Amino acid sequence: MYNLHLSVEQLEIRDTVRDFVAQTIRPAALRPERLEAAERLPAWDLLEPASRIGLRALALSEQRGGAGADTLTCCLVAEELAAGDVDCAAMLNETSTLARLLFDRLMTDAQRDRLLPQFLADDRYHLAFAGREPDAGAELGINYHRPAASEAAMPITAFRAANGEWVVSGASSRVANAPVAKLVAVRVAAAERACALLVPRDTPGLSVHRDADAHGWHHGTCGDVIFNDCRVPADNLIALEHPGAAGADRACAKSIGTQRAAMNLGVGRAAYEAALDYAQLRVQGGRRIIEHQAIGAKLAEIAIRLEVARAAVWQAAWAADHPEAVADRSLPDLPLAAIARVFTAEAVYRVAKDAAEVFGAMGVMRDMPLQKYVRDALIFLHSGGGVSDAKLGIAETLAGYRRPSAPMVRAAE
Amino acid sequence: MDFALNEEQRAWQMKARSFAEEEIAPISLARDASPTARDTFDWEIIRKGSRLGFRTAAVPKEWGGHGTDFVTQALVMAELAKADSAISKTFSQCWKWSHLIAAVCTDEQKERFLKPFLADDTFLLGKGITEPGAGSDNRMPPEDDPKAGLKLRAERHGDEWILNGEKAFIANGSVAKLFFLDARTDPNALLRQGTTMFMVPSDTPGFRVGKVFNKSGWRFYQNAELIFENARVPHANVVGAVGGADMRSHAAGDRTGGDLFGDLELAANALGVCEAACAQALGHARTRKQGGRYLAEQQLVLLKLNRMHMLTEALRSFVMRVAWEHDRKLHSPNAGLAMNFSTDVIQEVTELNMDIHGGVGCQMDRSADKLVRDGFIWSHLAGDSVQRLKVAKRIAK
Repeated sequence: MYNLHLSVEQLEIRDTVRDFVAQTIRPAALRPERLEAAERLPAWDLLEPASRIGLRALALSEQRGGAGADTLTCCLVAEELAAGDVDCAAMLNETSTLARLLFDRLMTDAQRDRLLPQFLADDRYHLAFAGREPDAGAELGINYHRPAASEAAMPITAFRAANGEWVVSGASSRVANAPVAKLVAVRVAAAERACALLVPRDTPGLSVHRDADAHGWHHGTCGDVIFNDCRVPADNLIALEHPGAAGADRACAKSIGTQRAAMNLGVGRAAYEAALDYAQLRVQGGRRIIEHQAIGAKLAEIAIRLEVARAAVWQAAWAADHPEAVADRSLPDLPLAAIARVFTAEAVYRVAKDAAEVFGAMGVMRDMPLQKYVRDALIFLHSGGGVSDAKLGIAETLAGYRRPSAPMVRAAE
Repeated sequence: MDFALNEEQRAWQMKARSFAEEEIAPISLARDASPTARDTFDWEIIRKGSRLGFRTAAVPKEWGGHGTDFVTQALVMAELAKADSAISKTFSQCWKWSHLIAAVCTDEQKERFLKPFLADDTFLLGKGITEPGAGSDNRMPPEDDPKAGLKLRAERHGDEWILNGEKAFIANGSVAKLFFLDARTDPNALLRQGTTMFMVPSDTPGFRVGKVFNKSGWRFYQNAELIFENARVPHANVVGAVGGADMRSHAAGDRTGGDLFGDLELAANALGVCEAACAQALGHARTRKQGGRYLAEQQLVLLKLNRMHMLTEALRSFVMRVAWEHDRKLHSPNAGLAMNFSTDVIQEVTELNMDIHGGVGCQMDRSADKLVRDGFIWSHLAGDSVQRLKVAKRIAK
């Protein structure tokens, strides 16, 4: 059976978010001061209403107060949000995905009882996870098909004080959502065990430095997290060395990667919609420019690239939600999330450039959206290891190469 | 075939190279980072460059300029653009119209405009064609629609012309002292026949500068709105004949004042940007280590360096050939093709440079980013479909 129907619920969620973006997000995102800003600060006037319609807790299970959205639904939402404002999309996705990982999968009942009510009650309560991906920044280029030779980053350490508290020291750079997080989970090396600690933002000794460089090359917000003899109660410890935890972390990584591709797609769609509208309004050469072959063919190419990218993203998302489809050979055993991310990043950059060209000189004006779409597409192409590293990662998987890796992943295998 | 430069050409190239390295490069990134469009500009660099001859390089020797040939001009534009594409363009924009003054202005007009231009280090030139509703229509006017194209209206009253309307995106708009403006003198005729070119000094009554456009790339270069409200221009400021704004249809000796130089200009400027990108990428690959080894030891990095250099050298050959052909008055679609080609090359080469710099956490090298933004400007100036169709139509004619 081959079926591409979205469920009634998925269609409803997509329509709701699309309306919300059209009415609330887009008008604000298109204001020149936001389009031109070198550093886009968290837009609470957009993030709070988004939280109120449930987007901050989208992936959290229903029984715990979220919407229980699967990966495909999260991708539908990510595309819609990013078509309006990619930075808001990135922050909401990070928190929603971490909410599922932390509250649903990793926390003990006691931890959840203590922290979940605060999270649900506060529309400005966001989440960050320092050092969640031990392999991030592993610089695959130089390590292709070899054990990692990179100088390891200084780990964040924790030891048990006499009174039973954990004392955390160290730093983690460029942690997504750190500047807005009210709860920071941090992966620590403690007594040879992989574990994580939950550190509320107001814990003495915890400081977050927003990327001071206005030239930040990321979506959403990120910052350096510093733990300076930061003391947290003994029962803030999360064990990571059991197969359930490792599986949850892998699923989380896959889901974030696929949602990233969906956000990237949203940027492309915003560029496409703008170009399509303009091409039907602008008259040159005696007719609407869409009626000229050169522009018509360009818009067709844009539509083709976006549709093929969307198919790849949806397939990766659906595969994440249905692992049995790989087991029964319906889907190939390939890194579908990485494949979707690379294809989408390359396709959408081309889409954004072509769309901007349709606008002529208006395509490079900083108070107009097209130049921002081009820039946003470039950031997807050249951040987080970039597409070159991602291709090498895919190649290693094709060859069946497995790199000896960090403890948490090893424990899972 | 001889690619050797003569001593004079080499001297200009070296002079431009050291000016670019010593004076332009140190200010380039700060000018680019200026948040408002007007503040990116810097008169000091214009004065310094002018004293070295970069503003007046193209004015013929008999009129007190330097009389450089096209090969020299291409070399200088590329050298200056290697440090900052937009600053190079600000200088060469003056050359574009010094070609025109020399070619079609009367001696009386040369007295009035060329002499002050030569004497004043801050005298920049601009040209106004584009309007909010007329971009591509000016480049490739529809053959049957007199309504298409620019709308700035000029009506004759005795010895004066009264101008009403507006221009958009005009180069050197907020800084030029003299503009060459295309205006409709016969609104019922097709664009090519009904348009006249005027010389309009910036202090003309009824003329003012509107907003300066805040662009993502080429930030130093000032593109502005020009607004005309009963602006009064003497008839003596008409360039060529009334109804003769199209210099290609004008019987005017050396007809390199218009598009021909402009095509070479964009291609030569792109060459400089590509050289900068190659130098940056090579420097980064040779000095940045990953896991204890230089980036340049990686196959993917080497393949990118190979492509960057291959494209850049191909563009260099094309640019120098076109400049050489211009000097021999061999006019062909080659200049237009070189301009179109330079769009593809500048964008791919600057993107590859960014790629080599990329993947380092959440930061991007500022210079690599600037080159990509500057290169994207070519999309609507040099490589859009109208610019390609125009060249192809000439080939297919």
